[in-house]
Amino acid sequence: MDIFLYLRRLSWMVDSKRMKTTSNFRWLLSTFVLLYLMNQVNSQKKGAPHNLKCVTNNLQVWDCSWKLSGASRGVHEVCIENRSNSCYLLGKTNNKIPTLAPGDYEITVKPLHDFRGSISKFILNEKNVSFIPDTPEILNLSADFPTSTLHLKWNDKGSVFPHHSNVIWEIKILRKENVEVVKLVTYNTTLNGKDTVHHWSWTSDMPLECATHSVGIRCYIDDPHFSGRKEWSDWSPLKNISRSSDSQSKVFPQDKVIPVGSDITFCCVTQEKVISAQIGYTKCPLIHLDGESVAIKIYNISASENSGTNVVFTTKENIFGTVIFVGYPPDIPQKLNCETHDLKEIICTWDPGRPTALVGPRNTSYTLFESFSGKYVRFKRVEAPTNESYQLFFQMLPNQEIYNFTLNARNPLGHSESTILVNTTEKVYPHTPTSIRVKDVNSTAVILSWHLPGSFAKIKLLCEIEINKASSAQELRNVTIKGVENSSYLVAVDKLNPYTMYTFRIRCSSETFWKWSKWSNEKQYLTTEATPSKGPDTWREWSSDGKNLIIYWKPLPVNEANGKILFYNVSCSSDEKTQSLSEIPDPQHKAEIQLDKNDYIISVVAKNSVGSSPPSKIASMEIPNDDLKIEQAVGMGNGILLSWNYDPNMTCDYVIKWCNSSQSEPCLMDWKKVPSNSTETIIESDQFRPGVRYNFFLYGCRNKGYQLLRSVIGYIEELAPIVAPNFTVEDTSADSILVKWEDIPVEELRGFLRGYLFYFEKGERDTSKMKGLESSRSDVKVKNITDISQKTLRIADLQGKTSYHLVLRAYTDGGMGPEKSMFVVTKENSVGLIIAILIPVAVAVLVGVVTSILCYRKREWIKETFYPDIPNPENCKALQFQKSVCEGNSALKTLEMNPCTPNNVEVLETRTTVPKIEDTEIISPVAEHPEEISDAEPENHVVVSYCPPVVEEEIPNPGVDEAGGTSQVIYIDVQSMYQPQAKPEEEQETDPVGGAGYKPQMHLPVTSSLEDPAAEDDLDTTAGYRPQANVNTWNLVSPDSPRSTDSNSEVVSFGSPCSINSRQFLIPPKDEDSPKSNGGGWSFTNFFQNKPND
Amino acid sequence: MKVLAAGVVPLLLVLHWKHGAGSPLPITPVNATCVTRHPCHNNLMNQIRNQLAQLNSSANALFILYYTAQGEPFPNNLDKLCGPNVTDFPPFHANGTEKARLVELYRIIAYLGASLGNITRDQKILNPNALSLHSKLNATTDTMRGLLSNVLCRLCSKYHVAHVEVAYGPDTSGKDVFQKKKLGCQLLGKYKQVIAVVAQAF
Repeated sequence: MDIFLYLRRLSWMVDSKRMKTTSNFRWLLSTFVLLYLMNQVNSQKKGAPHNLKCVTNNLQVWDCSWKLSGASRGVHEVCIENRSNSCYLLGKTNNKIPTLAPGDYEITVKPLHDFRGSISKFILNEKNVSFIPDTPEILNLSADFPTSTLHLKWNDKGSVFPHHSNVIWEIKILRKENVEVVKLVTYNTTLNGKDTVHHWSWTSDMPLECATHSVGIRCYIDDPHFSGRKEWSDWSPLKNISRSSDSQSKVFPQDKVIPVGSDITFCCVTQEKVISAQIGYTKCPLIHLDGESVAIKIYNISASENSGTNVVFTTKENIFGTVIFVGYPPDIPQKLNCETHDLKEIICTWDPGRPTALVGPRNTSYTLFESFSGKYVRFKRVEAPTNESYQLFFQMLPNQEIYNFTLNARNPLGHSESTILVNTTEKVYPHTPTSIRVKDVNSTAVILSWHLPGSFAKIKLLCEIEINKASSAQELRNVTIKGVENSSYLVAVDKLNPYTMYTFRIRCSSETFWKWSKWSNEKQYLTTEATPSKGPDTWREWSSDGKNLIIYWKPLPVNEANGKILFYNVSCSSDEKTQSLSEIPDPQHKAEIQLDKNDYIISVVAKNSVGSSPPSKIASMEIPNDDLKIEQAVGMGNGILLSWNYDPNMTCDYVIKWCNSSQSEPCLMDWKKVPSNSTETIIESDQFRPGVRYNFFLYGCRNKGYQLLRSVIGYIEELAPIVAPNFTVEDTSADSILVKWEDIPVEELRGFLRGYLFYFEKGERDTSKMKGLESSRSDVKVKNITDISQKTLRIADLQGKTSYHLVLRAYTDGGMGPEKSMFVVTKENSVGLIIAILIPVAVAVLVGVVTSILCYRKREWIKETFYPDIPNPENCKALQFQKSVCEGNSALKTLEMNPCTPNNVEVLETRTTVPKIEDTEIISPVAEHPEEISDAEPENHVVVSYCPPVVEEEIPNPGVDEAGGTSQVIYIDVQSMYQPQAKPEEEQETDPVGGAGYKPQMHLPVTSSLEDPAAEDDLDTTAGYRPQANVNTWNLVSPDSPRSTDSNSEVVSFGSPCSINSRQFLIPPKDEDSPKSNGGGWSFTNFFQNKPND
Repeated sequence: MKVLAAGVVPLLLVLHWKHGAGSPLPITPVNATCVTRHPCHNNLMNQIRNQLAQLNSSANALFILYYTAQGEPFPNNLDKLCGPNVTDFPPFHANGTEKARLVELYRIIAYLGASLGNITRDQKILNPNALSLHSKLNATTDTMRGLLSNVLCRLCSKYHVAHVEVAYGPDTSGKDVFQKKKLGCQLLGKYKQVIAVVAQAF
């Protein structure tokens, strides 16, 4: 043992120095092993006890044991020194010895009967003793399945321990056939010398029904007085908890209520194989438990529907499930308020706050507890609660005014509360007053009574009376009344108006105001009548003949009539006599009395059932005013402002009367009286209409009568005229139009006329220009006529024989009136026309005369130039034509030309004409390009024959006779006579064929036929000599037609073909239908034609 | 089998208010006298047919309302949760005599009436806000009550049957909420199925 202690100490030293160096550690370790081996050799002497070990489980007895080598088994004597030679005869190898006090003891162990055995000595100290408590025993293990709670009960057996000690209990809970430790927890207690039963509970996250749960326990006693080694006890035997055996498949937990956001485990205990599990719509992964049982874990679960959240496990054949109710604990009742309607019963209302999502038996229950009296009431829920229904009634207790209420809210998930301290006299919310009654006192006061249920004898009531009368602001009057017990209340209401319909209603509260009651029903009441307070407003007018005085008065307003006016009395009194009209019934507000021109005072009195009003007086006399002007005024939309200068002579009042200007005299719509110190007033009337002219008359009142001071015509609001001025054209000339218009009637003018706008422009009826004439258009001329007296207008500087569009419209300050338009055509300018005719005629005559003179003087030259002498062809024998050839035979044959010397001779004889012949040849296009033509048509040889003329003797031709013989053939270049003035040479170049007239002896322009062989068939119609054979080839063009000069046509032949024996132009007969003759008309009318819009 | 839910007892007491009410009712012996409290209507069978037709026409709507109010997964698992798996439901033979059919009808209506009473009670607690379901359940129960009276009147007046032994479905008051939902749904599914056959048979 000492070696052991030494080694232990050494070991401790080694431990303390272990961290120093590793080399030292190795050295120490080898030393330790050596010493240990030596000790073994020494102690294991043959038969000697060794390895003494002592343990205790109660700190009172040590249980020591040693080992023996060999076969020595017998009784040993154990002696303990320092204990007065205490020796014990102990058998076997372990024995109990009483606890030794702290310190070292030498223990001698020797076999009692075995002499061969040696004696062993040990040093024993408490520190070498191990303290291992007895294994705890579970007294009871129970389960609360609805709450999944295990309850454990055990005894600490503290009575066996001598000292107070701390005990650590370790409890383990196993699941899944004891293979999975789901909970290991320590639990601390204290030993107090007595046996104590301890309880420990644990709530499982999984329902206890889901699997068998096992519980074990051990302990560790920490005795401060024990210096030896303390060790844990052994685990107690496991105790199991399982649900009662039931073959039915079930899902747990069932019908549980949990808060929102919880984590919860569901399990299905079944013998069938579970395929899937789901909560609501959501599928969940399965956790396998014992057997086929499975579980699912749900985290942060959300609130349920009314019928709860279904959790189901699906097997092949069936679905097993449970319902979980997820909600919230009750919210703190909000807006808790307690008040009383009648001081008999207290009504407490509240807002439940956040919905709990729990209904039915899981819904929140409420209890209202009054702490002073200890009484309470429970809330009875209706089937479908709403916020308004959260209220409780608490019967008030006699002689208790202050109540301390606590409202408890509770549901399966928790509870909450709210408190309120109520002084009932300060929280009075009276019922609605009922049975309103009104009773007369006089015409200006009534008694108002009402009923108000409640025990208000201890308080005063504050009531508010609302008084309404027609067309008047409502009036509120507060009255304080001493409360009574379930009775009626009455109050006098004065300062009312007679004969007025009043509407009363009442509400009340306590004098220490908390809330007004609801308004009572309205009660209407008509106060009684009183005498009219004023006489009617009176005016008078003389009739148009000046014999009768018409007296007008206005009905008294309700507040002055003080009752229903039955009739009026009118009297006219002068110094001499008095006339009266009595009992004029109320609807009539006018009376007519025949009076002379004396001054009368008219008096009007209104009467109701109570009495007569004070008389209203007015003088009949009118004071003339010579200095009277008619003025104009315009109102402000709803009224018109009239002002005048202050006149100190006007001692009574001013009267303004007005009437519609279109009414005949005497006209009177209404009047208004203003005090004599006023200088202006605004006349307003519902009868005023915009655009209507009214006459306003201001009268001033003197002692003797009224004097007309001003006469004003005016409009409340000006409008635009509704008609256009009716205008006519008085006179029209070639350059001017005189327009005259008429006045617009006043009714249609609708404002003061400010002028006319006159528009005019060129234009004809039914043209596109017949749109509105806007002055912004540049072609429209506008004249603004601001002189409204002007009734005519002359428009000058116009064009003759032109249509003009005239428009006239009137305007006021209210706007433009409609327009009226007219179309007028100015007359034609005859002088210009005459001039336009005469000048061309004169020019033509002058030109003719000059031409005649020139021709006369140059007649010889002209003759030589244009009419040279032509030789007689009869002198040439070669020109003997067979008659049959030229007569009626269209098939032309080539004429074989014999030498014709006489022609040449004739030409030679007249030498003077040689240059002319040359000129003719030069200007001939054929002569200009003889080679080109021959090149183009080498084989198309045309032999131009000369066909002698057939003289028709029956047709006399004076021109022919003048030319010098019937046998003469004269060729005239017609083109040369009618060549256009411009570009004659260009014409010849560009159109050599078209530019020629009748050219029988020239080469025909057949170049085109070469270019277009298809046209060869037409060759005989387009080329060659075509004497009158085809009239269609004539180009019927008027000489003055521009197209005739510009034409490029190949077949242009100016004029008609020339007859063989004619020198005249064959002008084709004028064809009216010819389209080419239509466009070239020329006349003086055209020359002077004025185009529109020139 | 536990009999008589709280809501069913008043109904049966009213219908069978005489000595021995509340105990199983045997079919009256043939020679026993049968007296009704009020004379039966002349056109009794027509009324019975109309009542059956009315029940038949509303049965499916009631079924849908019910399973919809129970929440998921009831509407999507009708075969397993609401299948007409009611084992002790009274039989009905459409080809039997009128008397036999009326007796069987009486048993069926009595069974259904009791079960509907249970369902109504459960749903008022479980689904207090499902007012349309409550209304439909009450209307169906009322019609069944009238039909039961008419059938009894017919049996009594024509066949002199005053007492018919009836059986009731399981009491659901002690069951968990899911079982209440499931049993109610199965019963209404069965009711929808049976009432169509019965209405056709009459």
